[in-house]
Amino acid sequence: MNALAKFGKSQVRVEDQRFLKGQGRYIDDVNLPNQAFGAFVRSPHAHARIIAIDTRAAQAMPDVQLIVTGAEWAAQKFGPLPCRSPSKVNRDGTPYKDPARHCLAHDVARYVGEPVALVVAETADAAKRAAEAVMVDYEPLASVTDRARAMDAGSVQLWAEAPQNLCLDFEQGKRGDVEAAFATAAHVFRLDVENNRLTAVPMEPRGAIADFDPATGAYTLWNSSQNIHANRDLMATMLRIAKDKLHHVAPDIGGGFGGKNSVYSEPVVLLYAAQKLARPVKWVADRTEAFLTDTHGRDQNSHVALAVDAAGKFLALHVHSIGNVGAACGTMGPFTPTGGTARTQGGPYAIPALLYTAQAVFTNTVQTDPYRGAGRPEAVFHIERIVEFAARKLGIDPVELRRRNLIQPDQMPYTSAIGLPIDCGNFPAVMERVLAMADRQGFAARATASAAKGLKRGFAVTPYLECSGGAPTEEAQLSFKADGIVLLAVGTHSTGMGHETALAQVVSDRLGIDLNRIRFRQGDTAATKIGGGHGGSRGIELGACAALKAADMVIDKARGIAAHLLNSRADDITFEAGVLKDTKTGQTVTLDAVIQAAGDQSRLPSGTGVGALDSTAVFEREMFTVPNGAHACEVEVDPDTGVVKVDGFWAVDDFGSVINPMLADGQVMGGIVQGLGQALLEEVVYDSESGQALSTSLLDYALPRADHVPRMQIEFYEGAPTKRNPLGAKGAGEAGCCGASPVIVNAVLDALKDYGVLHIDMPLTPEKVWRAIGVGGGPKS
Amino acid sequence: MDTFKFVRATSLVQAAETFSKGSDARYLAGGQTLLPVMKQGLAAPSDLISLARVAELSGITFDTDRINIGAMTRHADVAAHPQIRTLLPALSVLAGGIADPHVRNRGTIGGSLANNDPAADYPAAVLGLGATVVTDERTITGDDFFQGLFTTALEPGELITRVEFPVPLRAGYVKFPHPASRYALVGVMVSQGANTVRVAVTGAGACVFRVPQMESALAKSFTPAALDGVAISASDLNSDRHGSAEYRAHLIGVLAKRAVALASNGHRS
Repeated sequence: MNALAKFGKSQVRVEDQRFLKGQGRYIDDVNLPNQAFGAFVRSPHAHARIIAIDTRAAQAMPDVQLIVTGAEWAAQKFGPLPCRSPSKVNRDGTPYKDPARHCLAHDVARYVGEPVALVVAETADAAKRAAEAVMVDYEPLASVTDRARAMDAGSVQLWAEAPQNLCLDFEQGKRGDVEAAFATAAHVFRLDVENNRLTAVPMEPRGAIADFDPATGAYTLWNSSQNIHANRDLMATMLRIAKDKLHHVAPDIGGGFGGKNSVYSEPVVLLYAAQKLARPVKWVADRTEAFLTDTHGRDQNSHVALAVDAAGKFLALHVHSIGNVGAACGTMGPFTPTGGTARTQGGPYAIPALLYTAQAVFTNTVQTDPYRGAGRPEAVFHIERIVEFAARKLGIDPVELRRRNLIQPDQMPYTSAIGLPIDCGNFPAVMERVLAMADRQGFAARATASAAKGLKRGFAVTPYLECSGGAPTEEAQLSFKADGIVLLAVGTHSTGMGHETALAQVVSDRLGIDLNRIRFRQGDTAATKIGGGHGGSRGIELGACAALKAADMVIDKARGIAAHLLNSRADDITFEAGVLKDTKTGQTVTLDAVIQAAGDQSRLPSGTGVGALDSTAVFEREMFTVPNGAHACEVEVDPDTGVVKVDGFWAVDDFGSVINPMLADGQVMGGIVQGLGQALLEEVVYDSESGQALSTSLLDYALPRADHVPRMQIEFYEGAPTKRNPLGAKGAGEAGCCGASPVIVNAVLDALKDYGVLHIDMPLTPEKVWRAIGVGGGPKS
Repeated sequence: MDTFKFVRATSLVQAAETFSKGSDARYLAGGQTLLPVMKQGLAAPSDLISLARVAELSGITFDTDRINIGAMTRHADVAAHPQIRTLLPALSVLAGGIADPHVRNRGTIGGSLANNDPAADYPAAVLGLGATVVTDERTITGDDFFQGLFTTALEPGELITRVEFPVPLRAGYVKFPHPASRYALVGVMVSQGANTVRVAVTGAGACVFRVPQMESALAKSFTPAALDGVAISASDLNSDRHGSAEYRAHLIGVLAKRAVALASNGHRS
């Protein structure tokens, strides 16, 4: 079917052959002989002291094999769930608070859904029934789920060591410069903006199967995780077992979006149970469990202040956020609302002074942790909302105000005032292109047509800038099998993005090997030594670059073998389009012939053996990349009901060089829909009095559906490939939701400008929009 | 899910007999509410009596000015029926807008009415079109059938056999879907018959209800403008984080006007 896959050409996803036929292998498809099933007993209270747990009735139920309570867990003295937040120092120099959170709550439960015991039985049903029969005597305590209230002097305190529930008091930037600019600026604009709490709702819920071999003392964990290598190390440390005794493997993953990055309690407890029972133990979350216990995202409120001079030039930006980290630190702890949001403050604008301050606070809610973008979409939202707000207040066309302030191409490379090193990009060209695509000139006519239907039409454009992240090192292996198959193993992790195609495409293009011959392996500590997994839009930037490096190593080795076969010198051998050529004699040998020779000791030069072409590359990036772009959209608002319809969406994204435009399109589209969900629909809600989780099913939590999705036109700006990696690629995975939320909100506010509405907090539900129109006092015209 | 005895009834008599023998028997129509509730452990019937093969409960027939829909008729079949589309497009539209294709291909009109979910669509059709619910024992007018939150006039074991819809001069249905569940946050059915105008609202209260002040205004003039200034009180309306009582009251007014407009143009939106 496939010929050679070319770099830069759309290529249909090879993995879809099995995904679309129902042949994907997800956790629930993995079943081991003699496996038992686990079910977790979870706290029904937001905050409660655990007085006692009576397991007798449950223990007596049929088929029950094992019950592990928080007390037993505590007695084992296993390590707490780890926090790896890169931001961990308060602005006064003292360390942040990372209270010990254990896999099973022992003395106090601090959020609804926190696991307090594991029940293992012969069937999943028996385990669930027995879990219901575990009697936990709780003494309910007062709770706090709201981040601002948690900081009140008289608030309930979750941890003795964290007064006023403060986890981290963060500051980055130049306070003096910012304060000076604000003191003398012609204009200062201030706005409070909410980044609503979200949950990823991957199609495949979390799940795991733990196995233990008493003969060798080795564990195997199949786990729906995006972070196989790093979490293997962390879990092994918690359980005090050698890293090489824990084989961590993820089969196909049905979506992650950050929600499967963290080290979670359940797989660790399953490992313990598997060891205790010397048999495999399986657990797969149901949807309600997923809503209650998957890490949540966003949940920060920010005060945004922008100083502007008389000519409309931005002088300084100060954003102060309060971020909700949940009941204790997740694996990245307070990073997202602090350092994660600081990185890209100011966006693509030349702002001489930037300051980001934030307080990360504990509340009686599940942990928040990275969620697609992990701070960068929040930062885009801050700057784009305040710029739109400032334009309205100043009476300047919001597009014009942006034009005046964008970083210009001749300013590259540009280091932002908060320290972001931007190597390349053409922000004005990108924005002008999206404006042309969106036919901004034709907006007035379309607005008139909408008005004839009783609808208000709005337009907005939002340039955005983000940065890639994640682990800076990656491994790729290429090995050549006797049957002609080339195995590509990587430590990056596709949770549905299409790496099996894109990374193989890089190898196919470089080596001139048919895509059909390349097999792909990922998410397995036995496959690669190093693995940075998924996160920070690193798949192409790290994984594909490692694959490219491995392919180059293969070519180098092939030249040596070709020299031997052609009786020449490796220095004289060139490689092009699958053919090795002696430039002196003109003699050629194909790479395929070299691959065959590499499997035959008699044809290899002395000192080399079978498998001589097999190569393991470790690629380390010198610096993360700075993807950027501009999104535009038009909305129609029904003023009678407050319903918003996104009626058109245009995106120009600068991902540097694009390997597979079709896959990049998919990344952008998915991100835009996710951003639309945040802007208009999604919100995790806890009852402020009881701390109960209120959005625990798809009947309550509104995800975008097909009929919410607008027509989209997506282009890539490839005029500024990065020199920070050999592919010239910039991370693509998180860009979509960076642009979408602010541009949709800004377009709605543009539609409502006749009503004098200057701000509505996300999600822009119909009732909120309707109320804002009412508050604004009706049409002014 | 607990264990239960499963019986496939083939006649009304057999169904009723089985029901009377069970300690806590339940009829199973499309199962779109009952089965999820059983899976959650919130219902644990001793006997589950499937009505799928009871011949008396199936079929759509037409009398002069009346459409008779068997209780086991699936939403998708009502939505797709060409004669219903011609005679009573508001009903086709309503049935075609219930939940999603999966539910529409399993869920039944009888099951929906017997359940009387406060946010279901069919109660608005029965009350707003002046339909009659026929059971294995009697006939019940729509006005008498719906009695409160998940409560109907049905006696224990009484089975809906069919629903008889008079064909109005015109009718319109507009639903404002809940953003997550797509049940009606508010749904309004308006109809104009030879002598009566009806306005029925679902989703907004504990149970479907009529709006007399709108009906009298529309009786004078069946136009959207006739509803200008007709106030809807928010008291007694549902209030939750997806829609306050005040917002729902407002939507009733907006949707009723739109339903009248649709009714007047043959439900061509």
